[in-house]
Amino acid sequence: MGEFEPKIIGFLCNWCSYAGADLAGVSRIQYPPNIRIVRVMCSGRIDPIIPLEVFMRGADGILVLGCHPGDCHYVEGNLYEERKIKMLKMLIALTGLEPERLKLEWVSASEGQRFAQVVTEFTEQIKKLGRSPLSGEKPNQKIFENLQAAKNAASDFRLRVLVGRERELTEKGNVYEEKVSQEEFDSLLGEVVEAEFIRHKIHLLTKTKPLSVKALAEAVEMKPGAVLRQIVEMRRRNMIALDHVEGTTPFYKALEVG
Amino acid sequence: MASKKIGAVLVVGGGVAGIQASLDLADSGFKVYLIDQGPSIGGVMAQLDKTFPTNDCSMCILSPKLVATGRHPNITILTNTEITGLNGEAGNFEVKLRKKSRYIIEDKCNGCGLCAQKCPIEAVDTFNEGLDNRSAIYVEYPQAVPLKFMIDREKCIGCGTCQEICKANAIEYDQKDSEVALKVGSIILAPGFEPFDARLKSEYGYGRFPNVMTSIEFERILSASGPYGGLVLRLSDGEIPKKIAFIQCVGSRDFQLGNNYCSAACCMYGMKEAVIAKEHTPTKLDAKIFYMDMRSYGKEFDAYYERAQGEWGIQFVRSRVAGVTEDPKTNNLFVHYVEDETPKTEEFDMVVLSIGMQPPKNIETLAKNLGIKLNNYKFCETATFSPMETSKPGIFVCGAFSAPKDIPESVAQASGAAAKAMSVIASERGTQVTAKEYPPERDVSREEPRIGVFVCHCGINIGGVVKVPEVVEYAKTLPNVVYADANVYTCSQDTQKLIREKIQQHKLNRVVVASCTPRTHEPLFKETVQEAGLNPYLFEMTNIRDQCSWVHMHEPEKATEKAKDLVRSIVAKAKLLKPLKKPLINVTPVGLVIGGGVSGMTAALELAKQGFEVHLVEKEKELGGHLRTIRYLLEKDDDPKEELNALIKAVTENDKIHVYLGAEVVDVYGFVGNFKSKIRQQNGRETEIEHGIVIVATGAVEYKPTEYLYGKDPRIVTQHDLEEQIAEGAFKAKNVLMIQCVGARTNERPNCARICCGQAIKNALKIKEISPETEVYILYKDMRAYGFKEDYYREAATQGVMFVNYEDERKPQLANDNGGLKMTFWEPVIKEEIEIEPDLVVLSAATIPNPDNKRVAEMLKVPLTKDGFFLEAHMKLRPVDFATDGVFLCGMAHWPKYIDESIAQACAAAARATTILSKPTLEMEGIVANVNEDLCSGCRICEYLCPYNAIEMKEKDGKPIAHVIEALCKGCGACGTACPTKAIIMGHFTTEEILAQVKAALIEVKT
Amino acid sequence: MNAKTEFEPKIIGFLCNWCSYAGADLAGVSRIQYPSNIRIIRVMCSGRIDPTFILEALKDGADGVLVAGCHLPSDCHYISGNFKTLRRVTLLKKVLQDFGIEPKRVRLEWISASEGDKFAAVVRDMVEEIKKLGPSPLKNMEVKA
Repeated sequence: MGEFEPKIIGFLCNWCSYAGADLAGVSRIQYPPNIRIVRVMCSGRIDPIIPLEVFMRGADGILVLGCHPGDCHYVEGNLYEERKIKMLKMLIALTGLEPERLKLEWVSASEGQRFAQVVTEFTEQIKKLGRSPLSGEKPNQKIFENLQAAKNAASDFRLRVLVGRERELTEKGNVYEEKVSQEEFDSLLGEVVEAEFIRHKIHLLTKTKPLSVKALAEAVEMKPGAVLRQIVEMRRRNMIALDHVEGTTPFYKALEVG
Repeated sequence: MASKKIGAVLVVGGGVAGIQASLDLADSGFKVYLIDQGPSIGGVMAQLDKTFPTNDCSMCILSPKLVATGRHPNITILTNTEITGLNGEAGNFEVKLRKKSRYIIEDKCNGCGLCAQKCPIEAVDTFNEGLDNRSAIYVEYPQAVPLKFMIDREKCIGCGTCQEICKANAIEYDQKDSEVALKVGSIILAPGFEPFDARLKSEYGYGRFPNVMTSIEFERILSASGPYGGLVLRLSDGEIPKKIAFIQCVGSRDFQLGNNYCSAACCMYGMKEAVIAKEHTPTKLDAKIFYMDMRSYGKEFDAYYERAQGEWGIQFVRSRVAGVTEDPKTNNLFVHYVEDETPKTEEFDMVVLSIGMQPPKNIETLAKNLGIKLNNYKFCETATFSPMETSKPGIFVCGAFSAPKDIPESVAQASGAAAKAMSVIASERGTQVTAKEYPPERDVSREEPRIGVFVCHCGINIGGVVKVPEVVEYAKTLPNVVYADANVYTCSQDTQKLIREKIQQHKLNRVVVASCTPRTHEPLFKETVQEAGLNPYLFEMTNIRDQCSWVHMHEPEKATEKAKDLVRSIVAKAKLLKPLKKPLINVTPVGLVIGGGVSGMTAALELAKQGFEVHLVEKEKELGGHLRTIRYLLEKDDDPKEELNALIKAVTENDKIHVYLGAEVVDVYGFVGNFKSKIRQQNGRETEIEHGIVIVATGAVEYKPTEYLYGKDPRIVTQHDLEEQIAEGAFKAKNVLMIQCVGARTNERPNCARICCGQAIKNALKIKEISPETEVYILYKDMRAYGFKEDYYREAATQGVMFVNYEDERKPQLANDNGGLKMTFWEPVIKEEIEIEPDLVVLSAATIPNPDNKRVAEMLKVPLTKDGFFLEAHMKLRPVDFATDGVFLCGMAHWPKYIDESIAQACAAAARATTILSKPTLEMEGIVANVNEDLCSGCRICEYLCPYNAIEMKEKDGKPIAHVIEALCKGCGACGTACPTKAIIMGHFTTEEILAQVKAALIEVKT
Repeated sequence: MNAKTEFEPKIIGFLCNWCSYAGADLAGVSRIQYPSNIRIIRVMCSGRIDPTFILEALKDGADGVLVAGCHLPSDCHYISGNFKTLRRVTLLKKVLQDFGIEPKRVRLEWISASEGDKFAAVVRDMVEEIKKLGPSPLKNMEVKA
């Protein structure tokens, strides 16, 4: 058994970071071979569901690299990406996977050295964290399902609207020409991330067979009362419906979300 | 006096009382401004699941009234609005209002709801009592009127999503609050009540224990459209409870809290909730109600109480609950109470607190702004003989704000307040309203059907699922369709214009709209086609949104096919549509009032004040009825003798009122607007009169007891006898014993006679006043001192009146023991048989129906209850109407009641009658039945089936033929369906039309 | 192609204007999904439903007919129309049985204005039920004739 060699996926923007990586090569700057680079036109292209999907397939770490603020070829794609990654980390934290496995950094076309350094440090960090619970023969089923729920939550309109509007709301001001403070926004985002994750988790759990509030409460490690409250919201959004009643226990089943 | 009167009324509060008052005023030719603090009308009734004692679905009966209010041309609804100031006097007020911003342009919002679907922010849903969430942009409930969304500014983060999604451009983020000033002649206050905050009763654990909830939360839980879809669940774990405790009088009859009064409706709603919970629960549910007195005093309420115990198996425990504790492991609850002087504890899965009514929030500000007095509980101050008058002339009150009360009493009082508000400005009727004029109708009888089809995208509500262009193209291929097109919003103003243009351009003579629900939008489109010169019944509508795109969102192909089927089907019907005439009937602006007691006299006077002639017929030789036996009042706020004399004087001196004493109505013919009746006086003289309406106010009589040696011993009297004795100074007794429920709540007459508890307390207090040393015992089953009467009950107890509870199993025994009276009864507190020797026994004899009711009912063809009182059209929302149009009832003819309640109902009957008498002609609904006389066999099945007496038999060529009185027909079609010879044609829903619709819906289309 | 061959029943729903039609609307407002097999015919009162309408619908190719009105005893906007419906439909179902038509094809339900859920559930259940029964025998008879 050799030393653990993590598998790291790097999403690099075409204009700055990819060029930076090229420069590292031209300059023969050495860095660990663990990274597999995927070129994208802009870091902003990295939809939150992509890293989640990549983690589900067993990656030990993900690096998203984009232009420094102000340098973005597409004006502000990188800044939007920053908000997405923040939300993603909140979401990942709920799944049981270490959010540190995901990292966003700015690397310019002239920073070959910095590129190598970022990769080296991140590889070290991931080595310390160890193998992803989703890699290998027996991926952790629970975290896998949680990631699936997180992915669904990240596809849902609520999170997408909030993340998409964060910069406008906190920096430029909202429709009432008021700025939403960063703390206020982050606490709201935290609440929504948590609620959406739980709802999609419940949705996944009840997809295969109807479950009771109690069973769900155990599965998601929440108080039954809190689960009931989420089920009420899910009913309102037609994510779930009452399936049947056994004795005094109602069982709920997921509805197909359109 | 110099200021001019204004024919408009301000109604404050959009609950069921405010709605009823508004409709009555608007239907009588007055302009109404209905304001509410909230974003929509409906009040607490909109939150209820079912209503007692009929277990009717609350929304089913309320929502037609909501829609009628929303669409009434004489009613302007101002939501989110509060009064900020008042100037002027009765007849001419200037009211200042502040309308809070909705951040939505009301004229543009069409209620499609896309914004709420895409709003990322959730807020606590107050309509569902916080049991679920809603979006930050919302309507209170799906049937809300006006159906205009509103932004919850507290919660909204201003992301702008709603503005992007709103195709109607209705969002206005910079909308400001606005100030409005209105000129009105009178004002009606109907602000309702505030539910008691159960947290203040901390010993019951509300707010601490998840499975303790309030009755209003429980209503939402019971509701099929509530958070749990109508299934009763525990908040702690989502399990269905097996055992529920209901605790009564939470925040009512509570001296410590200062809420001494009884909230009047909780006993019944508690019972109802227990019954409905059992009905909604798939497993066996035990329900136990902890109460102090079961106050089921209303019409047939005791029958409900009986059924609750028998049929539904609900248990009742007479006890004030001391406290509730929780098992933190199971979240089950322990109810601690005392029964038979023994402390007991019982475990339950859930506890429901029957919370009382409190005065509305911020009521003192409103009272100050308006200059009206509040009573010591901060409800509106009123008096027995002026139950709708506030302390300020021209301002009237109705509903729970005058005293806690249930829905039918609020509705009756609301109509009564409408009468009072109208009488201030009767001279200005019709001055603030304008009748809509339409162009002359085009004759289409000789034209081939030329159908225009308008298919609505409803933003993306329909268009996002159903392929609207495909439906339009398909519609064009249908027979007789000469025009079809799609609209973004068919209901928008510019589309109305377009529809009118297309009617002209393409010579359309039938119009079909495929969009949302006709229940809300049909009247709008009918108006539009009428404006284009078409008969409004040449319009039809099919629902491809609520019943298609919204319910088949994931099946666009199938939804499109269904939409095509629906269009094909409605076009098939449209082809057969015939223009219908709305029958006009003349109205004789004269009233007939049967009965000259306080109700009859009040009704007659109110009608006269509205300017109508009235015939008042009294069987006795003098006016006054039951009121003549009342010598003093419990509340002591008015002198009944003085009031009676004033009333008689006002009636006899009013030259619009014709009084017939010692007279009876012996014959009534005709129908609403056109009655002919015969009045026979005792001297044999008969008078024929013509009139437009009838008000039945025949009162009730005192039961002559056969129990307790009554009539066999002069020391045994009724409450009325006692009152007479006291008033005449003949009262000397030192030891008085009163027995409640004599002739009421028995097997023979199972219901409560309502007023005897008040009478007993009144007389007991009077005895203590004139002879403090006299011992008074009151033996009762439940002391039903509801509302503010509870104060007097408490006072009597404080003054030493002994209240002793008895049960049917252990009725008190009275014997004549060698000339002395001996009364034996069980004392439940000390658990002993007690024997006393009273020198006066007072029987609280029931008030029973007037024996004449049967004759009057048959004459008027109106129904009676099992007990023999008159039966109104609907127990909840039409308390003074009969199902037969133009016939009304009030006072004790309806049920035993106190004077203030009789007066409220009498005014109500007058207001309801005025909605008819104020119109020279009545325009009836055009959808009525018609008889093909050649086919009619005269079998009378239809006559028997019609619930409105709208079918009469007429002789034709020597045989009886059914004839529809269009004025009375409501268009349900029950007669047509039953007719064996198919002689009855139901306008707009003819058999041919319905079958064409069915046939077309079932055609297999090859695609 | 397989999807096409699966039997999709056609159901006619006669709904009273005041309660059941409003209940169907509420299902829509609440976005409760149900199969698209039903075609709704609005009438003012369920008491308007002549048993012959139901027979005609079956004859014209409906595989099932739903009649829905206001709850008993007193939700009916027209006082007692629902009682009349109850008697008529009960009788009709007996007659249907005599004719060899499964009485289950005709269903009478009380659905209130606040029972959007119930309306959807009834339609779902009815579609399932009728799928099991297969096409209406009356429809086949017509084909033969």
